This record gives sequence, structure tokens and C-alpha cells, in this order.
Amino acid sequence: MTTDSSATKSSVVPAADRKGPPGWAEGLIGQLLAIALSLVGGAVIILMVGENPLHVFATLLRGAFGSTDRIAGSLLQATPIIICGVAACIALRGGLFNIGVEGQLYLGGFAAAWVGFSFAMPPVIHVVVAVAAAILAGCLWILIPALFRAKFGTNEVVTTILANYIAVLLTSYLTISVFKRPGGWSETDPIAVTARLPQLLPDSRLNIGLFIGIGLAIGLHLFLRHTSAGYAMGAMGANPKFAEYGGVRTRRNVFLILLASGAVGGLAGGVETLGVHHRFMEGFAPGFGFDGVIAALLANGNPIGMIGTALFFGALRAGSLLMEVETNASREIITVIQAFIILCVSAQILIRRRSGRTGERRWKF
Amino acid sequence: MEVLEKIFNFALIAATLRTTAPILLVSLGGSFTTKAGIFNIGLEGQMLVGAFFGVLGSIWTGSALGGLLCGVLAAVVMAATFSLLVVTLRANEVVVGLALNILAGGLTISLTKAIFGTRGSIVSGDIVGLPPIDIPFIEDLGRFGRVLSGYTPLVYLAFVMVFVVWLVLYRTKLGLYIRVTGEKPEAAEALGIPTALMQHIASLLCGVLAGLAGAHLSLGYITMFAENMSSGRGFMAVAVLIFSNGDPLKVLLGCLLFGFSDAASLRLQTFGFPSYIVLMVPYLVTLGALFALTYRQRPKVIRETLESLSLLRRT
Repeated sequence: MTTDSSATKSSVVPAADRKGPPGWAEGLIGQLLAIALSLVGGAVIILMVGENPLHVFATLLRGAFGSTDRIAGSLLQATPIIICGVAACIALRGGLFNIGVEGQLYLGGFAAAWVGFSFAMPPVIHVVVAVAAAILAGCLWILIPALFRAKFGTNEVVTTILANYIAVLLTSYLTISVFKRPGGWSETDPIAVTARLPQLLPDSRLNIGLFIGIGLAIGLHLFLRHTSAGYAMGAMGANPKFAEYGGVRTRRNVFLILLASGAVGGLAGGVETLGVHHRFMEGFAPGFGFDGVIAALLANGNPIGMIGTALFFGALRAGSLLMEVETNASREIITVIQAFIILCVSAQILIRRRSGRTGERRWKF
Repeated sequence: MEVLEKIFNFALIAATLRTTAPILLVSLGGSFTTKAGIFNIGLEGQMLVGAFFGVLGSIWTGSALGGLLCGVLAAVVMAATFSLLVVTLRANEVVVGLALNILAGGLTISLTKAIFGTRGSIVSGDIVGLPPIDIPFIEDLGRFGRVLSGYTPLVYLAFVMVFVVWLVLYRTKLGLYIRVTGEKPEAAEALGIPTALMQHIASLLCGVLAGLAGAHLSLGYITMFAENMSSGRGFMAVAVLIFSNGDPLKVLLGCLLFGFSDAASLRLQTFGFPSYIVLMVPYLVTLGALFALTYRQRPKVIRETLESLSLLRRT
């Protein structure tokens, strides 16, 4: 536990023994190097696709930052990624994987929309109830995987991934077969105006969800740093056996951590339907959950660092929309670049630190 | 009752064998990595590139065999990347596996658009699929015979591979080394077994089978590629591997269960059940089986392996 703000967190080698720049700088250099390498990899793919990489990257940048509207668009895309990233960070710091954020996002999104279009309530209360429904739905969706992980050690990576597929199908079924808007195209009725999240700018769908996400990330950071429960959680993630020896009730905590992670995942979906789409649409948020997990992994579970990676991913997403219109490259190029970044980061951090596998976090790069 | 009778018949058995084949192939591939002590979440991505490059190779070479080889090669490249990062560079296997799955999804969609100019799927008359094979003598055995004949070669191969993989794992030195590497890494190192090499070999063998599984998806009964067409089968395979611990015979049972639920759900769809609900069935069955079986699993020393180890020392 040397530094808190870098990818080299909880290095086995004590800080004093290490030569070269301090941990956080080393981590930052590593991240930047990984991004540079990934852009080269992305450029190769773009060449394969038959486009000019410089032109594609320039369009990507223009799409992300070209005007105030586009910057707002980038922040809009980053919002669900930040909240999903918090969900993933919670699990990661507890030494667990919640790959099911995507599923919790779908269920949470649907639950919030359902409260939004089915009931009439006074303004503020309506939003609060809808958000609560989203959180509850996220919790319920991870309940069984969390229970089995805590009690029997059933691998939560696989169970939460498989639950994603079921979540997408279930919400599609509910949308199309049960709550379809007459004449609409695989979407529900719009939610009541009282259930909408306040918008930040007049001409953009950017809403206070952005601040909810940033607030949650900061809150998680403070929780991990300054409370004993947060310390216990971090200790558990760093080394479960040691934590148990030190009196941390690991099983109960595994359950609670996964539940909390699922709750935030559900919230992300709620924010998306209440703040952006104002209804539930089939396939309303493709990949935000996965982006959140990746953002959290790249920041090594650090919530503050995650905000940065999530903003970067949001900009990539926003930029890719313009890129797809103006070039022949499809927007999935950016997922290729994201994958390259993770691979580079995971590889090079380990070139530096090859020894001492015992007692480390199981998710560390 | 009448519905049940209509669902459960010989056609269902045939459909079960067909739907079992791809997940069986990919799971058997995973047997190698599981036995070598690698948690391989990247099966999904390997299968997906297998399916994509299978179609691509089939169009390029004009033959199904060419497609098969391309698909396998692509999956092996993925597998090699996986083991390079996980074994040699000691990166986290879940992180790398997930990244490769994401890479596979993005890459196949991007290339589909670049090469064919379409979004979502590749449908073309130029795709040469795998021909069904009729077994001459069995054909004459009437209804029962027809259930066993007329599949594409990979269906037969999948079931034959159960025994091949079992033989390799339990009756060859390579298999023994792989198992010792996974179960007792310290013992393996003490015996001078090159554990890293064993894990690389296991990963590459896994890539071959995952590539075949993918090619079966896109060149078997349907000759097309659709985005993310592996649709979680690689993850189901991981679930099967967890509760079977990679033992080929248990893998077969788990995959038959999956294949049956898949085939039965497809038939349910024809009886007017909502398709979204029906499509959930395989995932639910896999999850249910995983939950039901894992709570009984405890870490156990495999006595058999220790015995063969002592045998090895004596000779």
C-alpha cells in the first residue's frame, strides 16, 4: 500500500526499494505509454480497414471536443461509464469482479422507467422513487450470484456474465411484449415529466447524472481512505486471508460488497433512462457497463483515477459517432483501441514487477 | 401432453446433438487450460474470431476446409496472445481474457464493415459451408439410424474429441504434465516439468478446438456470420468447465444438458412461446447447473495424479 493514485498500488516491493520515479509517476507514464501503443495498434487496424489513421483520429478528436455541444456530448457519454465504473471499483477494491454491471444497468434502467411511466407522483418524490427502484433492481439482479459467491465460492465472473445475457433478453421481453408503446418501435411509453432528472444545459441531454457519478466516485474514495469499514474492504481485496486473520468477516463482506456494486450498476441504468432517454428502449445502453468495468480496471480500482479513464472513454465514444459518419471506419474501432489499451497496460506493468504472486489481489494486472 | 410428445422425438435428439457440438468443442478446448491451471474466460472471443475468419477463409479459398483452417488459425493467434500475456508476462487471466473478448467483438464488426460494407452480418452465396456426411450402413437402421447420420463433420469430430482429449489428458505424458502443472505447480517445478511450456501448449490446443467450434457456428448448419454470434457460448463453456473441473466425460454431460436445453427451447419457440423468454433458457439452465453443482465442490487433492506421479518417479 504505497501510493493511492497510481496503477502500481499495493506493490509488493516497498517504495524505498524501488529505483526510478515515484510510484504514481511510473503508473502515469505506464498508462500514457499504453495509450500510445494502443493508438499505434488502432492505426494498424484502421489501415487494414482502408482508411487514413490520421484522418480518422482527427475526426475522432473533432467529434469529441470540436465544439461546446460536442464536449457536452462527450460528458453525456461519460456519465453512465463513470457510474458503472464506480460499481466496478467497489467490487474490484473488495477483491471481486462484477462483470455483470451491464445486466444491472439494463434492469435498473427498466425499473426506473417503469416507475416513471406507470405512476403519477409529485415532482421530487417521483425521481427519488424511480432512482430507488433502479438501485433495488440492480441489487436484486446480483443477489443470487453474490449469495453463492459468499457462501459457496461460486465464481462470480461467470455467473455475472451469464446474468447479463438474461438481463438483456428479459428487458427486451418486457419492453416489446408487455409495455410496448402503441405504434412505437421497441420502446416503452415515455416517463412522466416529474420523473426526469434535471438537465444541466438547455440544448443538451447532459444531466445531473454526471455529478451523481463524480460524487459517488469521490464518496467511494473517501470511504476507502477514511473509514474503518473502507479499510477492512481494501484489506480484504488486497489479501483476503490476511484480512480474515485480522478479524474481517470476509464472507459477509463479499456479499455486501457485491450487493453494493450491483446497486450502483442499477443506479447507472436509472440515470440513463431518467436523464437521457426518458423511456426504456431495447438496447438503450450498449456496452456502458463493460466500459465502466474497463475504466475501473485501467485505474486499478482507484475511483478518482477511474473518473479520468471514464471521461477518456466517453470522449472516444462521442468522437466515434462523428467518425462513423465521416469515414468508412466503424465505431467499433474504438472498442478495439480500448482492448489494446488494457492488453498493453496488463502486459507492461508486469514486465516491471514479476515476482511475489502470493497474497496479491487476484485482479491486479 | 400432446405438446410434450411433439417436442420429445427423434428430431429433438438430432437437434440436441447439433447444438451440443460447438459448445462441446470449445469446452473440450477449455479442458486443457483448466487442467493446466488457467482460468480461461477468453473462450468466447476465440470462438468468435473462429466464426468470423471461418467465413472469410471460406470465401477467399472457396472451400469449407480453407475456412476451417482460417478460423482455427485466427483462434490460435488469440490463444497465443492470451498465453503470452498470462503465462509469460503473468498478467491477470480474467483481465486479459475480457480484453481479448472485447477485442474480438470490435475487430470482427470493424472488419465486417470494412470488407463487406455491411453492419451486423455477412450473408453471401460465396460462403462454402461444411457438407453433411451420411454414414452408409447406419442409414439403413431406420429411424434410429437416421438420428446418427447426416451431420456435418464437426459434429462427429466433437464427440470423438471427448475420447481423444480424455486419452491425451490421462494416457499420455503430455497430459500428465499438464495436469500436474495445474494441480501441483510446486511439485511440477520440483520434478523439472516446464510448467510455462505446458500452459502454452494447453492454451494453443484450446485455441484449436475453440476455432473449430467457432467455424462450426458460421459454416455448419448456418452459413453466415453475425456480430457476436457466439452469443455467450464461450462463457457457458467456462461454466461447464467450472463444475466439471475439465474432466472430458463430465464436460460431455454438461454440454449435452446445454445442447438439450438449447434444442428444446428452439422447439418451444415454434409452439408460440415468446422468443425472448425461450432464448433465456440455455443461460438459465447453465446458471442453474453451476449454482446447483458448485456448492458441493470442495478443493480436493486428486489422488490419481499423485499416484501417477509416484509411478513416474519409479520408472
